Amino acid sequence: MAKTTFRIGGVHPDDAKLSRGCTIEVLPLPQTVYVSMAQHLGAPAKPVVAVGDEVKAGQLIAEAGGFISANVHSPVSGKVKSIAPRKDIAGNNFMHVEITVDGDEWAEGIDLSDTLVTEIPEDRAAILDRIKACGVVGLGGATFPTHVKLNPAPGSVAECLIINGAECEPYLTSDFRIMVERPKEIVVGAAIMQKVLGGCRCVIGIEENKPEALESMSKAVAELGYKGIEVLSLKKKYPQGGEKQLIDAVMRRQVGSGGLPISVGAVVQNVATSLAVYEAVQKNKPLVTNVMTITGDCLSVEKQHNYLFRIGMPLSYIAEYAGGVPEGAAKIISGGPMMGRAVSNMDACTVKGSSSLLYLSEGSTKRNVPGNCIRCGRCADACPMGLEPFLLYKLAKVGDMDQLEANAVQDCISCGCCSFSCPAFLPLLDQINIVKGQVIGILKARAAAAKAAAAK
Amino acid sequence: MDKHLVSPNPHVHADVSSDSLMRDVIIALLPAIVVSVVFYGWSELLVLAVSALSCVLLEYAIARWLMKDIRLFSGSSALVTGLLLAMNLPATTPWWVVFIGALVAIGVAKMSFGGLGQNVFNPAITGRVFLLVSFPTYMTHWEIPGGLWGADAVTGATPLGAIKEGLLQGASVQDIMSAGGYSYGQMLFANLGGSAGEISAIALLVGFVYLLVRRVIKPHITLSIWATVFVFAGIMWLINPARFTDPVFNLLTGGMILGSCFMATDYVTSPMSNKGGIIFGVGIGLIAMLIRYFGSYPEGVSFAILLMNAAVPLINRFCHQKKYGRA
Amino acid sequence: MTQTIIWTIVIISVLGLLLALVLFFIAKKFKVEEDPRIDEVEKVMPGANCGGCGFAGCRAFADAAVKAADLDSQFCPVGGNEVMKKVAAILGHEVKEKAPMVAVVRCNGSCENRPRTNSYDGYPSCKVKAALYSGDTGCSFGCLGCGDCVAACQFGALSMDPVTGLPVVDETKCTACGSCVKACPRHIIELRNIGTTPKNQRRVYVACSNKEKGGIARKACKAACIGCGKCAKVCKFDAITVADNLCYIDYAKCKACGQCFFECPTGAIHVAGFTPKKVEPKPAPAPAAPAAPAAEPVKKEVNNG
Repeated sequence: MAKTTFRIGGVHPDDAKLSRGCTIEVLPLPQTVYVSMAQHLGAPAKPVVAVGDEVKAGQLIAEAGGFISANVHSPVSGKVKSIAPRKDIAGNNFMHVEITVDGDEWAEGIDLSDTLVTEIPEDRAAILDRIKACGVVGLGGATFPTHVKLNPAPGSVAECLIINGAECEPYLTSDFRIMVERPKEIVVGAAIMQKVLGGCRCVIGIEENKPEALESMSKAVAELGYKGIEVLSLKKKYPQGGEKQLIDAVMRRQVGSGGLPISVGAVVQNVATSLAVYEAVQKNKPLVTNVMTITGDCLSVEKQHNYLFRIGMPLSYIAEYAGGVPEGAAKIISGGPMMGRAVSNMDACTVKGSSSLLYLSEGSTKRNVPGNCIRCGRCADACPMGLEPFLLYKLAKVGDMDQLEANAVQDCISCGCCSFSCPAFLPLLDQINIVKGQVIGILKARAAAAKAAAAK
Repeated sequence: MDKHLVSPNPHVHADVSSDSLMRDVIIALLPAIVVSVVFYGWSELLVLAVSALSCVLLEYAIARWLMKDIRLFSGSSALVTGLLLAMNLPATTPWWVVFIGALVAIGVAKMSFGGLGQNVFNPAITGRVFLLVSFPTYMTHWEIPGGLWGADAVTGATPLGAIKEGLLQGASVQDIMSAGGYSYGQMLFANLGGSAGEISAIALLVGFVYLLVRRVIKPHITLSIWATVFVFAGIMWLINPARFTDPVFNLLTGGMILGSCFMATDYVTSPMSNKGGIIFGVGIGLIAMLIRYFGSYPEGVSFAILLMNAAVPLINRFCHQKKYGRA
Repeated sequence: MTQTIIWTIVIISVLGLLLALVLFFIAKKFKVEEDPRIDEVEKVMPGANCGGCGFAGCRAFADAAVKAADLDSQFCPVGGNEVMKKVAAILGHEVKEKAPMVAVVRCNGSCENRPRTNSYDGYPSCKVKAALYSGDTGCSFGCLGCGDCVAACQFGALSMDPVTGLPVVDETKCTACGSCVKACPRHIIELRNIGTTPKNQRRVYVACSNKEKGGIARKACKAACIGCGKCAKVCKFDAITVADNLCYIDYAKCKACGQCFFECPTGAIHVAGFTPKKVEPKPAPAPAAPAAPAAEPVKKEVNNG
């Protein structure tokens, strides 16, 4: 198999896939779940249940609140206790539906069996509707509604569907486990999306540090025999799983600044999304479960887990079930150590895109005191977008928005390679993120003004 | 720990720091230092010690009492400056001259610009050039290697000095070379007069390879200097071998190896981008060779690096990395 | 020899003269005509270039003032009425007097009142912190404590109190330029009126910005305004409004009687410039260190959530 990777920048953080050997276990239900209305990119969903309603697992409890939005379903059967704001992992308030759990009774029409359904429905629109109805969103991190991504604007043609099995973040193993344990479902999901996109080529990209996944996925592809699906082994490099980087690695094409992947004929979907698409289309099962990794460098191997969780489970409940927050944990992270978010509120609940509870020890995560920039240029070498973080950092400090825009701060994907590789421990990304938001705001305002002027 | 930390991503850091990088540079210099001490004896050790010690102490004193911000003190970087300065001086340099060189390197070239990362010119080279123009007697007083335990130290000229001298007297390059008995083997393995950094090309190259393997530096600058020197000297040598020295001689003599591997690649005073690094290297190679062939000094690497240091902000302004998805 | 000297002098002199002429004509040709009043106005400005007036600096303010038809839309918060009078005198305009203002920190979430639940380990900037999460405490409205306001203040009027972890305004130095108001991502700093005479410098304000329901707010911070409305009830002058579980005292209506200060169950109401006296027939009030009423907060308040 040809090994390839993206061409610009990248870093090699320590792999640390400690929980790779842990098979996926099913988490028992808690007494109460809190389902967030904002667990996808775009507008929050609007609740369609009222306090006191009885709901079943898989029943729609909130519908999409806009074009870019997604339906939300109840993960359990029980009674709606309240619909009120609740704090997410960062302590910010979002609307949550609180459901008192009384069992695990699923709504009608949902196939819970394990039998593999390989027949793909013919009707493209019907498939899209099903994906939309089941509230499937991208599970690679951005939680962008999948049906929107699979339905490119008229005029743009998808040439290649890339299934992202890179899982380049250290520690995380949830994607790896589903690729090992449920490869056929993933391949069927990929074939469904391939069909929706009009039968384009499909490449499943997996990093070479996961030979078991490469093997099981290749086997599944060969056994199922769908046309035009191949497995591609990628050289290990972070951030391979970044959409733009993966497109470069697989197709040797680069998405222009501010452009969408479809502009170069690419659609990228995560393996977990592929699984969710399979369950939605073939089993009519809405997206209410996902796999998350409980791991960390201060957690002994027997306490590492890969869990199949339901949305709305409090993190504190999961942590408790897994044996409590370890003593040496200095930081708790939801997501990987490079791009994950630090958890400040363990009472927050799981959402569709939750991928891990990562406990890092003080030694590995506490930041060192920043020194002087020694102009070594390591940040520029590491940046997968070819930016010059040292320059952006300097410009951010003086607030020169014009120069920041000229130096493409808006292209930053916040992957963290710059801060990761800085020998002076400068908080490069912290600063860049702030000005990036400001510059994107300026660009949007300018675009809006231009549109208004054109409309006159 | 009951209060958990919260910070923006990333939550982990590469196993690298400014100090670890400087430590690698010092390790890379060790072979050349050992060779020079073995060949020049205790006087070389004295120069190294005085230079390193005074650089570190001066940086500390300036940061602590003049700039009143101890965070500006970076011991490892001062130590590198000190060692590099010492390797640019003859072993016979008196200690007070070394100290003045350290004062200029740290005080003038580095700290007056704001300390680590702010200086425009390479501190060690600035110090060396200052001494070269201020104390030419000491700086051109070379000692033929007598060895660590050797007795008879004789003074003599460096190969480059001998050639400049000889050419002025009307001799041809070949005559001078054979009169001096210089061979490539000698140049590679430490047997010629010169400063510590000029003595053994092979020891310096070992250090250079170490830096490359450890990914401390990138090869762009060094290789482009070598290529430029080789091509330029090659052309001139083909035109008139009696007037111009050959390319291999030029690569192996003088401060060429030390300058191209350790001084020109200094992070702070070299361009950030690969493209910029190549332009920077070509500039150094050209200027160094022009000075060697046509200037009044026998050696020009230091001057070339200093001149190109001044051009770095300009190079940085026009040479950027290739950006993703942009022309 | 003599000739050389003479020639040198002649050449240098002629050269100097020629260059002077060139410079003279260039200066003449490229001369920018500028209203001399701009310079005059600029001279009376404070010269801090703080941008509090909304212009890029004092020069830009002067330029705009000279061009404008009147001074109604312009005000220098730093120089205040004094400077505006001078500017008006130069330009021959009328000037409307504005009441002097001062920056007020509407947060009382000191380390003691607001227990920390996390500790921040990123770049020490409120902006970065605010973009990341709701802060180290349970309160997602209060001060983040990284001192962006202190950095923004050009007059040295703000400093972080190391004990409380909150910014403190030095009212003698504050010019009400508004830089801190803009710098605070939580918008907890407000410019409030300050009286001109010692007597009407009496002020009462709510030192809290928490809009959450009482119970939640109180859980996060002992000194939070819980929106119970007791202060509004006791106020005889109708100066207090409650909205979003948060009280606000209108300076214009407030007579600084201080009764709300005693009524507040959490001590969220602060007074400045005077020591309030309780007028109820109840026993004499505790001597009024501003935090004193918070001493017995165990009274279980009815929250309206």
